[in-house]
Amino acid sequence: MDSESPQPLTARFPVGGGEIGRLIQTRDWTKTPLGPLDLWPQSLKTATNMLLLSPVPIVLLWGEDGVMIYNDAYSVFAGSRHPDLLGSKVREGWSEIADFNDNVMKVGLSGKTLAYENQELTLLRHGSPAPAWMNLDYSPVLDESGKPAGVIAIVVETTKSVLAQRRLRESEERFRAFTTATTDIVYRMSADWKEMQQLDGRNVLADTANPTVAWQEAYLFPEDIPAIQAVIDEAISSKGVFECEHRVRRADGSTGWVLSRAVPLLNDAGSIVEWFGAATDITERRRKQQQLELVVHELNHRVKNNLAMVQAFAYRTFRDAEDIPRALDSFTARLVSLGRANDLLTGELWSSASLKQTLDQATVPHRPDGGRWELAGDDIRVSAKTALALTMAFHELGTNAVRHGAWSNDGGAVRVRCSLQIIDDGTQRYRIDWDEHGGPPVEQPKRKGFGTVLIQRGLAAETGGNVEISFAERGFSFRLDAPADRLRNE
Amino acid sequence: MAKRVLVVEDEMTIAMMIEDMLMDLGHEVVATAARLPSALEVAADGNLDFVVLDVNLAGHKSFPVAAVLQQRGIPFAFATGYGPAGIDPAFAGRPVLTKPFTSADLAAVIETVG
Repeated sequence: MDSESPQPLTARFPVGGGEIGRLIQTRDWTKTPLGPLDLWPQSLKTATNMLLLSPVPIVLLWGEDGVMIYNDAYSVFAGSRHPDLLGSKVREGWSEIADFNDNVMKVGLSGKTLAYENQELTLLRHGSPAPAWMNLDYSPVLDESGKPAGVIAIVVETTKSVLAQRRLRESEERFRAFTTATTDIVYRMSADWKEMQQLDGRNVLADTANPTVAWQEAYLFPEDIPAIQAVIDEAISSKGVFECEHRVRRADGSTGWVLSRAVPLLNDAGSIVEWFGAATDITERRRKQQQLELVVHELNHRVKNNLAMVQAFAYRTFRDAEDIPRALDSFTARLVSLGRANDLLTGELWSSASLKQTLDQATVPHRPDGGRWELAGDDIRVSAKTALALTMAFHELGTNAVRHGAWSNDGGAVRVRCSLQIIDDGTQRYRIDWDEHGGPPVEQPKRKGFGTVLIQRGLAAETGGNVEISFAERGFSFRLDAPADRLRNE
Repeated sequence: MAKRVLVVEDEMTIAMMIEDMLMDLGHEVVATAARLPSALEVAADGNLDFVVLDVNLAGHKSFPVAAVLQQRGIPFAFATGYGPAGIDPAFAGRPVLTKPFTSADLAAVIETVG
């Protein structure tokens, strides 16, 4: 249209209205239900002028068809539908929500209003359907006769804020799910840690439902507070992560350990608002760690003690030795025997061992084939120390039997009897009898060897019992009579 | 100078070795105790110049014996596989023979305590 042609009537309408104002002026309205611009009723022109001058997105739906007249602000909302949307029928222009707008037209043209807050509508945008949310307010527009001739709608899209709120809600739900799912103790502290806002103790610690300044007394031990407070002070001054392993009073009154971590929540100015923390119950881990340290310590002691025993064997075996190769054999055999005793006790975790099994193992390396060995009677569990002493003594008995006694010929045999007896005062005594028979005639040894000393003195001192040794001509015999409780416990 | 020595040691083979070492060094072993009660008895009444004191006696710590010896002014040295860390702080500074030890170690300890 030629702007220089004199058109006095349309030149005054619409007044301003930005891009849409110009479009309305230049559009050929004759083929639309609204007819030529200069024939529009005044009510339509007034409503159009009003919305064109508004910064709020507004659309006018005129007539039964709801022909759309809108402003610049609305054209942003219309997106790629604009400019074709201008002057189109609302049920066609927004065909995907025709039913919704059908209702809007019916209600509006009957003179009533409609209002929606954060109404979700699926709109075609960039060629594909996408959810959108908006605040919609509809009110009727009256014509010159006072009847509703159109519907005016204020359309404010809220998609961004709805999605932001939804993300926030989901984040909060995830957070709640996390704090529910975790077995960790969770807590909130004031910015300066003076006040505990809340603590969910997970049955490990007592819960704190309401803010309290007495939380240190409730959960901590006075002697631990200075060290923990130092870590807190450091975290506050650096606005960094608080992390500390410390003791706690548990809900059941026992002492526990936690690994506690907390992070500061900062406001926009960078100041701490509060602390959010989680604490893991590490009582069991600490206990196992301590147990392990104890075991390593004890093991170190046993190794040292074993070395000292090896040293003692060497000292005794070689000190007075005239025949070095033979002394070396004796020494080696004693070490093997000590090694076997270790195997037996390792199997029992160094707690206790079966006495008969101990005797059996100690004599196995010396025993000839063919059943020249009998072990009968009562069995008891003995302490690790007793088992070790018995092993060493019975190793010596076996060695002697092979060298000079019942196992030195083809027919001799050894019989061992074990018996647990209750004597008059009610205490228990344990007796071991080692009797050799069928061997060569026994001769009284010229001097007491280390083996005999070990058997007599060692076993007597170790067991608190009486040891008797007899070199009778028909066969060597050994007897131990000791308090059973001492064998079991010491 | 020959000393009268008490050996407190619950492992008999080790006790016998310490006795041998002491005798080889020219000292006299007046008694050997393997358990806490007998060790306490000799420590309280014995005519002793020196004591070799095993720390662990069949599961019991020998510190009560050390206390008696300290009170009587009898010199002693601990013998232990645990090392100095296992010693009651009340006896910190007392000589410790860490097992296994040599006869020279034993001689040196007896020398230092006079």
